Amino acid sequence: MCLLAVAAGGCADHRGAPAPVTTLVFKHAHILGSGNPLPRLIAEFEARHPGVKVKGEALPWSTDEQRQFFVINLEGGNPGFDVMMLDVIWVPEFARAGWLLDLTSKVAPGELHAFFPSAVDAATFGGRVWAVPWNMNVGLLYYRADLLAKYGFAPPATYDELVAQAERIRAGEAGARLDGFLWQGKQYEGLMVNVLEGLWADGTALLGPDGAVFPDPARAADVLRFMRGLIERGVSPPWTTAADEELTRRAFGRGEAVFLRNWPYALDLLEAPDSPVRGKVGVAALPRHQDGTRGAGSTGGSHLAIYRGTQHPELALDLVRALTSEEAQRMMISGAALYPTRVALYHAPDLVRTHPALPAIAALTLAGRPRPVTPYYLTMSTLLQPELSAAVVGVKSPARAVADARRALGFALRDATAGQTR
Amino acid sequence: MSRRAPRRGRQWARDLAVLLALGLYAVPYFWQVLTSIKPEAELLVLPPLLPSHMTWEHYQAVLRQSLIPRALGNSLGVACLTTVLALSLGVLAGYALARLPVPGKGLILLGIVAGSAFPQIATVSPLYLLMRGLGLRDTWTALVVANASFALPLVIWLLAGFIREIPEDLEQAAALDGASRAQVFRYVLLPLVAPGVASSALLTFLFSWNEFLFAYTFTATEASRTVPVALALFPGIFEVPWGDIAAASILASLPPILLVAGLQRYLIRGLLAGALRE
Amino acid sequence: MTARERAARRVGVLYLAPALTALLVVTVYPGLWVLWLSFQQRVPIFGIDRFDGIANYAFLFSDPRFWSALRITLVFTLVSVALEVVLGVAVALGLWRQRFGRRLALGLLLLAWALPAVVTAKMFEWLYHPAAGLVNFVLGGHPFNWLGDPALALPGLIAADVWRTMPFVALLCYARLLGIPAEMYEAAEVDGAGRAAIFRLITLPMLRRILLIAALFRTLDSLRAFDLMFVLTRGGPAGTTETLTVYAYRSLFQTLQLGFGSAIGVVVFALVMLVAWAYLFAQRREEAAS
Repeated sequence: MCLLAVAAGGCADHRGAPAPVTTLVFKHAHILGSGNPLPRLIAEFEARHPGVKVKGEALPWSTDEQRQFFVINLEGGNPGFDVMMLDVIWVPEFARAGWLLDLTSKVAPGELHAFFPSAVDAATFGGRVWAVPWNMNVGLLYYRADLLAKYGFAPPATYDELVAQAERIRAGEAGARLDGFLWQGKQYEGLMVNVLEGLWADGTALLGPDGAVFPDPARAADVLRFMRGLIERGVSPPWTTAADEELTRRAFGRGEAVFLRNWPYALDLLEAPDSPVRGKVGVAALPRHQDGTRGAGSTGGSHLAIYRGTQHPELALDLVRALTSEEAQRMMISGAALYPTRVALYHAPDLVRTHPALPAIAALTLAGRPRPVTPYYLTMSTLLQPELSAAVVGVKSPARAVADARRALGFALRDATAGQTR
Repeated sequence: MSRRAPRRGRQWARDLAVLLALGLYAVPYFWQVLTSIKPEAELLVLPPLLPSHMTWEHYQAVLRQSLIPRALGNSLGVACLTTVLALSLGVLAGYALARLPVPGKGLILLGIVAGSAFPQIATVSPLYLLMRGLGLRDTWTALVVANASFALPLVIWLLAGFIREIPEDLEQAAALDGASRAQVFRYVLLPLVAPGVASSALLTFLFSWNEFLFAYTFTATEASRTVPVALALFPGIFEVPWGDIAAASILASLPPILLVAGLQRYLIRGLLAGALRE
Repeated sequence: MTARERAARRVGVLYLAPALTALLVVTVYPGLWVLWLSFQQRVPIFGIDRFDGIANYAFLFSDPRFWSALRITLVFTLVSVALEVVLGVAVALGLWRQRFGRRLALGLLLLAWALPAVVTAKMFEWLYHPAAGLVNFVLGGHPFNWLGDPALALPGLIAADVWRTMPFVALLCYARLLGIPAEMYEAAEVDGAGRAAIFRLITLPMLRRILLIAALFRTLDSLRAFDLMFVLTRGGPAGTTETLTVYAYRSLFQTLQLGFGSAIGVVVFALVMLVAWAYLFAQRREEAAS
C-alpha cells in the first residue's frame, strides 16, 4: 500500500543535518504556448528554498476531466498533491466540500487588492478566501479587421449585425474558404460558457434572483434556437458541434473565418510571426441581442489553491505567492499567453508595447460577467451540458431542452438552496 | 469431417482466402501499429498510407515522458496478484464443490453463477465508499481484491467442472495407500487439473489486465494507476497525440496478445469449458 | 452420517469459506448496499446524506434522459448481439473447413478479443477520424464525422463492439461444429441434400443450443458494457450513445449524486437479472417439454 511517495515530506526540523528533500506536488493543466515559464519559475523557487523540490504534474487536456480527477482524488482523501491549479468555477465547490486550505488569515489585508475584483470574488466563499487568482480570462469577439475594413463595417454591436456582416463578406469573398462565425459547441464546459454569454446578450440569465434555473425559459429557448440557427444557416460550420477552443482558434488562424469567439490566449497565437492572419485580427466586445442589454464576455481563468491536508502549508503558500507574483505574471503573459490577474500589469508600458491590446482587454475584463459563483455550479453545468448539446446539435427542440434541463436540475438540487452564493 | 475432400490445390486456395479475410479483420490493430511508427508530421495526412520512414519517436515519448511505464508495472503486479488470489481461493472452492459433501451445494453453485452476472456499474458506488472507508484508495490491494472477487465465480465454476471430469479412482487409490486428503489433493489431483488451472489463470489475468471501471474509480495517482486508465487519461497538448497514443496502445496490448498467442490452447479450452458446460 | 462424512463436510466448508467470504464481502454486500443507496439522496462532497424513499426511482420514471439511455442500451444490445451471432456463425463455418494455418487463423481472430476495451476504443477513435481515419479513406475520402454526428455515433460504436466480441461467438460455434459427427453429413449427402439444405437442417439445429448460450452471454455483457462507450464517445454527441451504464457513472462521479446514480445501477442490475431469469425459464420449459 503506497501513497504517492512524492508527498512524503521529509522532516525539515533537523537543523544542521542534511535535510531530506521536501517535495511539493503541483497539479496543473498543460500550459499552452511555446515559452512555458513554469519550469523556470519552479527552478527559481527551488533555488530560494534549498532542500525543497517542486514536482509539477500536468493533467489531461479537458477541464472537465481535470475536475473529475480532482474530485475523485480529493473526495477519497490523501490525494497526493499540495498545490492545485483550479478553474475559477471549481473554487466554491471545493471550498464548500472542505478540500481547500483557508487562506483568509494567511494573506495580508491589502495583498489581494492588486487583483481584479471579480477574480477575488470568485476566490471567496462564505466570506473567506480560498485561493489566489493566477490567470485571467474573458470571452472576446475576434474579427478579421482587414475584411471588415474592406467592406466598410465596424465591429458588430448586435448578433443580427454580425450575421449580416458575415454573410455579406462570405458572399463577397466567394471562392475563398471562409466560415462566418466560429464558437465552441462541443458538449463540455465551453458550450456552457457560450450559452451563458448568449443568455446575457439577450437580457436573461441562467439563475434568477431567487435562484430559480432559467427564470425566463422562453427567452432561453430563443437563445438556443439562435445558436442552432447559426449552424443551420451555414453561418457557422457543421463541425461547430464538436468544436472546442483550440479547434476554432486554429481554423480562424488559418484565415478560414470572419468572426471567432474565444479567450485572450488566442490573440498571442494569432499574432505569432508565422501566423497567416498576423496583423489582421481585431478584438472587440461580444455583441448583444437586444437593445438595452450589454454584450458581456464570461470571465474565467484559474486560481491557485492549497490542499487543506497538506503537510507543508507555509511552503505551499510561498509557492503560490511566487507563482502569482508580478514577476511571474509578467513571464506568463510573455511566454505562455496567460493573462495576468494583476490589474496594474495591463497598463505597464513594457508589456503594452509587446501586447498592444492589453488595455482594451483589461476594460473588457472589467465589463465581463462571472459564471454563477455557487458550489452547485458544476452540478448545474454537467447536467445542463447534454441538454444544451442536444439543442445545438438539433436532436431536441430548444424549448424541450430547456424544460428537460429545468426538470433535471430541480431534482438534483432539491435539497440545496440553489442560488446560494456566499 | 468434411464431406467431399476437395483437391489439395483448392483447399490451399480456400485456406489462404480465409487467412486473408481474417488478416483484414485484424487490420484495425495493424493500422494502430503502423500509426505508432509513423512520423508525427505524416499522421494527419491520408494518403499516403505508409510512412516514408519508420520512427521510434512515439515509443520514446511514451517510455520516457509519460506515465505508461509505471502503469504497465502496476497492471502487471495487479494482474499477477489477482490471478494468484483468485486461483488460490477458486481451486479450494472448486475442489470442495466437486468432491466434498457440502451442504446446499446446488444452491451455492447457483448463487455463484448468479454472482457472475453482477453488473460492475451497480457495485462500483458501494465499493468506492468501502475502499475509501478502509483507506484503500489508490492501492494495489483495492484492485486485487475487487478484480479477484469478480473473477472468482467463473474460476470456481471452471475448476469445479474440470475436477469433476477427472475420475475419482486415482484419488481413492492414493487414499487407500494411506495418503491424507491434502496429500491426495496436492500430488494426485493438482497435476491432473493443471491444464484447467492454466486456463482459469489465463482468463483471470486477461480480465484483470483489461479491467477499466474499478481501476478508473479506485486509483488516483500513478502509484496504482493501471494501463487502461493511463491510456484513457493520456494527456494531450493542443490536439490529441495520435502517434503517442498508438504507441501506448501497442505497449498496453502486448502482454494480452503474447499470452493469447502463446497459450492459445488453454485460452480456447477455458472459454469453451465455461460455455459448453451448461 | 458417518464420522468420515462429517469430517469431509467440515473440510468442504473450510475450503469453501474463503472464496464465499470474498464473494459475500465484495459482491453480495455491495449489491445490497447499492439498493440501500438508491433510496437515499447522497452527495458526499456536500455532506448530504438522507433517506429519500423512492424519490430517485420516481424521478427516473419520468426522466427523458433515462428512457433515452434505456432505449440506446436496448438498441445497442440487440443489434450488437444479432450481428455478432450472424458473423460468428459465418466465421466459424469458414474456420471449420480450415486445413492449413488453423492456428494462425485462430490467432488473428482472437487478437480482437484479447485487446483491452480501452485500447480498442482509442483504436477506433483514430480509425473514425474525419480527416485522417482509415475508415473514411476506405470509403472514398468523404469526411464522415463518425463520432460527432448524432446519426453515425451509435452505429460506429456498435461496429467497434461487434469487432471486439464476435470472435468469442465464433469460437464457441467453431468448437461445437468440431463436435458434429461426420456420419450425419455423409448420410445427408447420400440422401442427395444440397449444401443449403444441409446447413439449414443439420448444422443450424446443432448450433442452436450453443448460439443461445453465446447470445445469452453476449446479451448480459452488452447490457453491462461500459468501457468502450465511455472512452470512445463519453455518451456523446448529445447523448446519442449514452447507455444506462454511462448515465449511471456520470451521475455517480461527475455530479456526485451517489444515491441517484445507484438507482440507475440497480435498474441495470434488474435488467440483467431479468434476461438471465428469462433464459433459465425458457430453458426449463424446453427441458420439460422434451
